[in-house]
Amino acid sequence: MSKILGIDLGTTNSAMAIMEGGEPKVLENHEGNRTTPSIIALSKANERLAGLLAKRQGVVNPKNTINSVKRLIGRKWTDAEVQRDKQWLSYDIRESAHGGVEVKLGDRWHTPEEISAMVLQKLKADAEAKTGETISEAIITVPAYFDDTQRQATKNAGEIAGFNVRRIINEPTAAAFAYGVNKMKNEKIAVYDFGGGTFDISVLEIGFDPETKEQTVEVKATGGDTHLGGDDFDKKIIEHLVSEYKKAEGVDISNDPLAIQRLKEAAERAKHELSTAMETEINLPYITSDASGPKHFMMKLTRAKLEDLVREYIDRSIALVKEAVTAPAPKGAGLKLSDIGEVVLVGGQTRMPAIEEAVKNLFGKEPHKGINPDEVVSIGAAVQAGILQGDVKDILLLDVTPLTLSIETLGSVATPMIPKNTTIPTTKSQVFSTAADNQTSVEIHIGQGERPMMADNKTLARFILDGIPPSPRGVPQVEVTFDIDANGILNVSAKDKASGKTQSVRIEASTALSKEEIERLKQEAMAHAAEDEKKRGVIEAKNHAETLIYTAEKAMKDAGEKVPQELKDSINTKITNLNAVKTGEDKEAIEVKTQELSEELQKIGEIMYKENKAGDTPTDQTNHDQPSTGNN
Amino acid sequence: MEEEKKEITEKELDIETIQKERNEYLEGWKRAKADFINYKNEETERTKRFSAITKEMIVADILPVLDSFELGIMSSKDEQSKKGMELIRMQLEEVLRRNGLEKINASPGDQFNPLYHEAIGEKESEYAEGTIAEEVGIGYTLDGRIVRPTRVKISKESKK
Repeated sequence: MSKILGIDLGTTNSAMAIMEGGEPKVLENHEGNRTTPSIIALSKANERLAGLLAKRQGVVNPKNTINSVKRLIGRKWTDAEVQRDKQWLSYDIRESAHGGVEVKLGDRWHTPEEISAMVLQKLKADAEAKTGETISEAIITVPAYFDDTQRQATKNAGEIAGFNVRRIINEPTAAAFAYGVNKMKNEKIAVYDFGGGTFDISVLEIGFDPETKEQTVEVKATGGDTHLGGDDFDKKIIEHLVSEYKKAEGVDISNDPLAIQRLKEAAERAKHELSTAMETEINLPYITSDASGPKHFMMKLTRAKLEDLVREYIDRSIALVKEAVTAPAPKGAGLKLSDIGEVVLVGGQTRMPAIEEAVKNLFGKEPHKGINPDEVVSIGAAVQAGILQGDVKDILLLDVTPLTLSIETLGSVATPMIPKNTTIPTTKSQVFSTAADNQTSVEIHIGQGERPMMADNKTLARFILDGIPPSPRGVPQVEVTFDIDANGILNVSAKDKASGKTQSVRIEASTALSKEEIERLKQEAMAHAAEDEKKRGVIEAKNHAETLIYTAEKAMKDAGEKVPQELKDSINTKITNLNAVKTGEDKEAIEVKTQELSEELQKIGEIMYKENKAGDTPTDQTNHDQPSTGNN
Repeated sequence: MEEEKKEITEKELDIETIQKERNEYLEGWKRAKADFINYKNEETERTKRFSAITKEMIVADILPVLDSFELGIMSSKDEQSKKGMELIRMQLEEVLRRNGLEKINASPGDQFNPLYHEAIGEKESEYAEGTIAEEVGIGYTLDGRIVRPTRVKISKESKK
């Protein structure tokens, strides 16, 4: 079955997404960008251009560069909006035969649907090139305030572009879908959409009938300002910079197109930077020159100043939100602000911390964010497409492990086998060894939790693997395998590679912890993080010390007479010293004594090296750093 | 007899349901597996692209510095420091060139092509209407992708 394309057909920019592997994915256009300007042009060479290319020549070809056609689609010529927009649109529009609007491109008059279709056609072609598939179906989003005619016109645009338009859905609903706020709950949500050129607020009521599992989305109220957006912010910053520069240097750069171009780019960059930084510097050398020589532009802009500059816009948007939520119908939803269960942020401008803060303060709750606000609507449309094409089925929903599953190793350390949030089913194997010489059995102790010490986690099971042939510590290889199936049932097996002996255990309820229990274990882990880290440090030092003592004793035994008694005595003293501190909890003391022993031990190496120069016997290559299962 | 017949029909129905379910599961499994393989391939591609994107971001941030050098050299009156600045610019350009950055050629009189050029204004000139009258800002490609189009003024009909 062909895939359904989710399209956010915007006033200034459009975006598209598709479901892949059960996840929505934004598709890049031919130019490699994730958004496409909703602009169509007929170039001076009589070539039709769409998207970025149309935008690049817009300044010198304003009559034949059609932007913002979404403001006209499905409207009557006599609509107040059309009469108002007519004033500033750079291209010619006129009343059509049926009382609608027509747009002039070249010598021909087109309906707004046809222009929108050209934008959609570009998206379709780019999506097909990107996926290598024919895409004939689409879901297109529209503002919640669009009436039937506007919706029908948008649908027609899709059909003209060659799509079978499966649904026309509301932009705020799509954004809510993207965040999955529609999951089986009755709820009222507010979607705050601050884009480049328009500001929209929508209040939705989501209803869910548990009997029929049917879900309804009702638009309770919409509001906004069709001429308020992030572009206003940019303009404000540039104005400020120009006027400050004039004050400081006495030069007006507002009429120098190149200077303004550079300033515009710098202002946009500064605006983005101030979303994360508190202060930024705008540095444009040789911005202009006068009789005295070249002049430079150098100015600091703080986040506080930026917020001060655009405060009026933010306040205006907040006032519009209040009205849409609280005003009695038909102006608003007639609700209390506290009735709103969830808030969703859409549009690039909502990345500004001051906006997020203002929305948060108004509703007294954290708004949903995290998905790229420029893409969230197209992603929501793709999610809806996924439901239609059957991608989002319960059967394909995979669970994750809520807590880390570990095995106990030397010193009661919980060594993670499967970290928390791993998607299941999954399998992990690791090879362990013994901690003592001639150890013939190991205990496999399986625990669950985030704490580094096994005693602090929940024990799921223990079992013993015996029959390991006697050998020096670190030599036997015990392979431990954790396997969780899709139902969360954990199988743990341990296998001695030498004897082939295997033991295993099956744990039914590895993921069946209650929500409270999971939360408690996570909280505990967080609360004890520092203390645990310290404990683990001590144990690591102890393990290291133990390994070194073992190595030292073995080395002395192996070297035998070759090592002078003097050195043996000195090493034995160091071992005694290390043993004395090893039982305590002083990590530093253990490390110091370990270091001392290690230095002393190197002398054996030196002697052996000199001895071996003639003999060339291979050195012992046993790796003693392997974790060893704790059963000593 | 009737009883047995009924039982057989029921069992047949059961088998039918189970077969249907099995096909559904198998389909889902195949799809998940295919998706995973595709995802893995894409991820490899993405990792490759990732370093390219990182490079592109850094290079795009350096371009305004190159512009400033250009302007600095143009407005410098002291020959010695002008020479010095030119050399620093060359050094910087060389580093970027080694990393795949190339200038887009745009000369006055060339045909305007929005694939490579961005029009920022018009200007009367000796060249044919609609062609490039002046290059205002240098454009660049990085490994063949456009990082910044050349900013140009377009020639408009001379009033003379």
